[in-house]
Amino acid sequence: MIEARKKKPETTTALSGDGSVSASVAFSVYLVSGLFLAVGFWVAHNVYAVDLVSDPYRTLRLIWSIEFPVVAIVYSLFRQKPDECSYWRAAARSIIGLVTGALVNALGAIVLGAPVGLQYLWKTINWSLLMSVFTFVPAAAVFGASWADWHRMFSCMKPTSNRDYMITVPAYGAIIGAWFGAWPMPLDWERPWQEWPISVSYGAIGGYIAGKLVSLVLIIFKKRHLNAKLD
Amino acid sequence: MSVTASSRDPEPRQHTTGEFSNGFCRMGMCLKNEKWIAMAFLLIHLVAILFFTRGFLLTRTELPFHSTCSDVSLSPCLASPPPDHVSNSISGSNLSQSGGNLHQQPKCWTKPAVDRVIIIVLDALRIDFVAPSSFFPEPKPWMDKLPILQKLAYANGSSAKIFKAYADPPTTSLQRLKGLTTGGLPTFIDVGNSFGAPAIVEDNFINQLVQNGKRVVMMGDDTWTQLFPNQFAKAYPFPSFNVKDLNTVDNGCIEHLFPSLYEDDWDVLIAHFLGVDHAGHIFGVDSIPMIEKLEQYNAVLEKVVQILESQAGPGGLHENTLLIVMGDHGQTLNGDHGGGSPEEVETSMFSMSLRKHTSPVPQEFDTSSCKQDSDGKQICVSSIEQLDFAATLSALLGISFPFGSIGRVNPELYALGSSSWNIENDGNQSVSKKWIADYVDILCTNAWQVKRYIDVYSNSSVVGFSYDDLSRISDLYSRAEENWSNSIKDMLVDGDKNGSSNISALTKQIMAYLDFFSSVVELARSKWTEFNLKLMITGFGIMVISLFLQLLIILPGPKSHGMDSGAFVGLAFTLSIVLIRACSFLSNSYILEEGKVANFLLATTGLIKLQYSIMRKTMVKEAVTFLATVFALRISIDIGLTKQAATSQFMSSSPSWMLGMVPGHPILTLVSDIAPVLSLIILIYMLYKAINRTSCVGIWKYVTVGSIINYFLVAMQWASESKMLGLDVLLQRLGRNRIPQAVYGIGLVQLFLLAFARIFCAIKVTYGSKSWTVKTVAMVSACSSTVILLSGRQGSMLALAYILGGYCIMRLEGIERNQSGKGNNRFQNLNPLAVVQWSLLSVCMFFASGHWCAFDGLRYGAAFVGFDEFVLIRQAILLTIETFGFSIILSVFGLPLLMPLHSPTKRLFRMCMLYGLVNATTVTATILCVTIQRRHLMVWGLFAPKFVFDVVGLILTDVLICVASAFYFD
Repeated sequence: MIEARKKKPETTTALSGDGSVSASVAFSVYLVSGLFLAVGFWVAHNVYAVDLVSDPYRTLRLIWSIEFPVVAIVYSLFRQKPDECSYWRAAARSIIGLVTGALVNALGAIVLGAPVGLQYLWKTINWSLLMSVFTFVPAAAVFGASWADWHRMFSCMKPTSNRDYMITVPAYGAIIGAWFGAWPMPLDWERPWQEWPISVSYGAIGGYIAGKLVSLVLIIFKKRHLNAKLD
Repeated sequence: MSVTASSRDPEPRQHTTGEFSNGFCRMGMCLKNEKWIAMAFLLIHLVAILFFTRGFLLTRTELPFHSTCSDVSLSPCLASPPPDHVSNSISGSNLSQSGGNLHQQPKCWTKPAVDRVIIIVLDALRIDFVAPSSFFPEPKPWMDKLPILQKLAYANGSSAKIFKAYADPPTTSLQRLKGLTTGGLPTFIDVGNSFGAPAIVEDNFINQLVQNGKRVVMMGDDTWTQLFPNQFAKAYPFPSFNVKDLNTVDNGCIEHLFPSLYEDDWDVLIAHFLGVDHAGHIFGVDSIPMIEKLEQYNAVLEKVVQILESQAGPGGLHENTLLIVMGDHGQTLNGDHGGGSPEEVETSMFSMSLRKHTSPVPQEFDTSSCKQDSDGKQICVSSIEQLDFAATLSALLGISFPFGSIGRVNPELYALGSSSWNIENDGNQSVSKKWIADYVDILCTNAWQVKRYIDVYSNSSVVGFSYDDLSRISDLYSRAEENWSNSIKDMLVDGDKNGSSNISALTKQIMAYLDFFSSVVELARSKWTEFNLKLMITGFGIMVISLFLQLLIILPGPKSHGMDSGAFVGLAFTLSIVLIRACSFLSNSYILEEGKVANFLLATTGLIKLQYSIMRKTMVKEAVTFLATVFALRISIDIGLTKQAATSQFMSSSPSWMLGMVPGHPILTLVSDIAPVLSLIILIYMLYKAINRTSCVGIWKYVTVGSIINYFLVAMQWASESKMLGLDVLLQRLGRNRIPQAVYGIGLVQLFLLAFARIFCAIKVTYGSKSWTVKTVAMVSACSSTVILLSGRQGSMLALAYILGGYCIMRLEGIERNQSGKGNNRFQNLNPLAVVQWSLLSVCMFFASGHWCAFDGLRYGAAFVGFDEFVLIRQAILLTIETFGFSIILSVFGLPLLMPLHSPTKRLFRMCMLYGLVNATTVTATILCVTIQRRHLMVWGLFAPKFVFDVVGLILTDVLICVASAFYFD
């Protein structure tokens, strides 16, 4: 982790906005964010003695509030046009991204059938904030309000650089994971984790991690491909 | 010969040379005969479903006939002529034997043997709750918890017996009670059911009791009062609905049972305890609550027996009472029941006569299996079919047997009750002979009654028995009857002059009757309780073949252009959506929440479309509108689910988002009054626009104008019902049925006009490819007014949502085409996703309009909109329109609206076929799932209704596609 921290300043200067990130940098970014995700769970379990099943509301709140600064800080390093946009501005606009993303995620979930009762309100809000950290915050930190980039990334699914892979693939992983996570909810197994939003959160986290792995593979594969082309 | 051969010769050559073009020709010909293709698929589906249903849905026709006392004179048995002689001799001898009130009554079919019967039903009583643990491989904690029954049964000189009782599947309480009282084998669909109400219309034991002046008292499970709403002299029903409640029913039962035992105002007492069943459902058999329940029952039974015995003396209340403690079905160790596994089918029955004398049952008829218990004492458990219960009890109480009973009088149970007669006779030989003589006479009546039922049934039922089976049964019966008339009857009438030689003849006669009974029961079981897997698989196979055929028709013929990767991804996505939905039927939970599943999938396609439209930077508005519509439907589906949960025994969900809304809130009532009328006005406006925009003339225009009038009428009806604008005066003056009847009338006239226009005046060519747009608007609007009226207030809002959703689907489908614009080639390529979305939307509409796939989900009230009196066919048609109006009728007729303008008819037909294919795929999946789950606990509660709804939907869809293709295509 210390190594990763050390490396970052170098990479940011090396990046200069064109989005090329080496596989090792991507790996360390993933390691940091994954680690803090684990820290979130650990703190919830050991400090507050709650987990996702027993108290989804507090656990989700804890996880996103630990994960959000990390993601915002780390991804702000890769911001687009670093000359025009200061580091702090990038970090600040990720907060706007967090709120907007939460809104979009919550609306999507409700359209898909998430319960809309008052007692689910806070769970839904915290869940969508977590989803936003997975999906919107990295993109907001990197691209800001550049609609063209958002459009390219999320609608056309045409990531061009490694940095794009790092943003889109885990985000899509989280969404697809959450989508699959909703499947067991109607089953009559009468397990506590079938409640909204527990299984969906598990699915999202699982999909997020899977997306990270896939994007790593893609980055490495693409590099090899490029090397082969150069040769 | 030679001429034909030579003329035939050149043809094949032509075929071989022009094979390719020939293929085109055939295709063209096929597509010209769209109607015939649609008809062919309707036929194939009908055949497949017929096969499957014959194997799966066992049906039985309920006969409305009742037995009466005087019927028996038609039988060849002793009870009939010469009546004077027999009744005199019997009543004479009986009066001398015992007092009591029973013998003063006129004799009906049999000589009454007991005065009063107490039937204590312990729901889901497994055989190992009652029988001693030494009968089972190893003792378990729940065994021997009813020691009082064992003590009574195995005491010296006891007049009690433990039976292992065999129930017939379906082993659910309602079906079992029906089976026990009618003596028949209730199937899932007993044809002749009165429109939803479960009350038994067939002749039954309870009905016979009432008919013969017996007073019946009931306490406990309220299923009894559902089945017999008017028959009980006194009833103390308690709700059986709440499975988690172990005590309400039982405590209510106990509270009324003990006082009743001291009363003399009843002849038959029924107490139905539910605790064991509920404990099984919640905790399972091996649990503390279950054992506590059994121990509680033991105490109750102990007290009951004590009370009875205290009054069993001569002249006492219970001098001649029969106590029966029985289960209606068994349960598995998890507490499930409904299927046909041994654990569920084997239940128990304990029977005790308060007279301490039993007549020995001859060895030949003794079914008991005996074991040595730990003390080396002989303990026995007999066996009985629940099927025989009604006949045996009728014989014991001396009433006529239920008309549809196919059971026989069980010798052991009958012997327990009838012990009272022969105490005066001395000598074991003559006792048993007297008993056999009685028994053979009863069996004679019994056999005659069963034969009568079989004959009447096979004459009046649509699906009767096969000729071979009938003749075999007739043979057996006539042989037994011949022997009876020739020798036995005289022997009995003349009395016992010849002594012991008669016993063997009588036994032989009984054996002949028993042969007859067992072959009848075997036939009935094969007909009414056993799945025919071969037929089921045949039906399923035909369905699969039809799917492939349909796919062949839809696939574009010559592939002039390769499929690009985008289209391929789209196709794969569509296919996976259909498959996910199909697979979801494998689980009962997904069937219960099918509306939510369909909505989830629809929303998924909507989100994908949204992403797509953002990508193309067009029609984002439509995509968002579509999602909003889906959301609105989802809310509606949630409301429907709460209604379903209120009645379903499988659901307990209670969406609490409605907590904030108080039902009677004034704003809410105002909104619910105004919103439907408002959306009707919007619909009228849209229709008006449609008339103006499309250049529609002549009949088509008049038809559409007719719909506008209809909408106005519906709006008026609703407004006057909710007393808006002082319109209720109108209602009072017109009577509340006038407006709906006018709507139906105008709707019918519209349909006639449409058919007339279709046949006699084709739309002029100048309108060209637009012709079907005009037709569709006319057709859909003509159908919609009736559907909206029947659906009630929500109807107009749902119609609005439907139109909105359909419009968005149509627009979004165009994204690709507008963008790529590769020319005409893509035009013929239909977009499967749009059709799947449309089909999902229609499924959502079904659930959003407050339906679900169960018979209690039908809205019977809708059948009486506009009519007060009940006419089966008319009301059934209205109910069908209400149930499938949005989901099938409007969606099939509205299918052409999905197509962009200027596309060829061929495409429309393929679209119809694709819609049919999507529908048939889900039905095939349902069929497969039902086959797999045919032993599932919920097969009758959940899978079978789902199957029925799907099948009816499929046939209706096919028929409507036929109609649509006849109507839309020239």
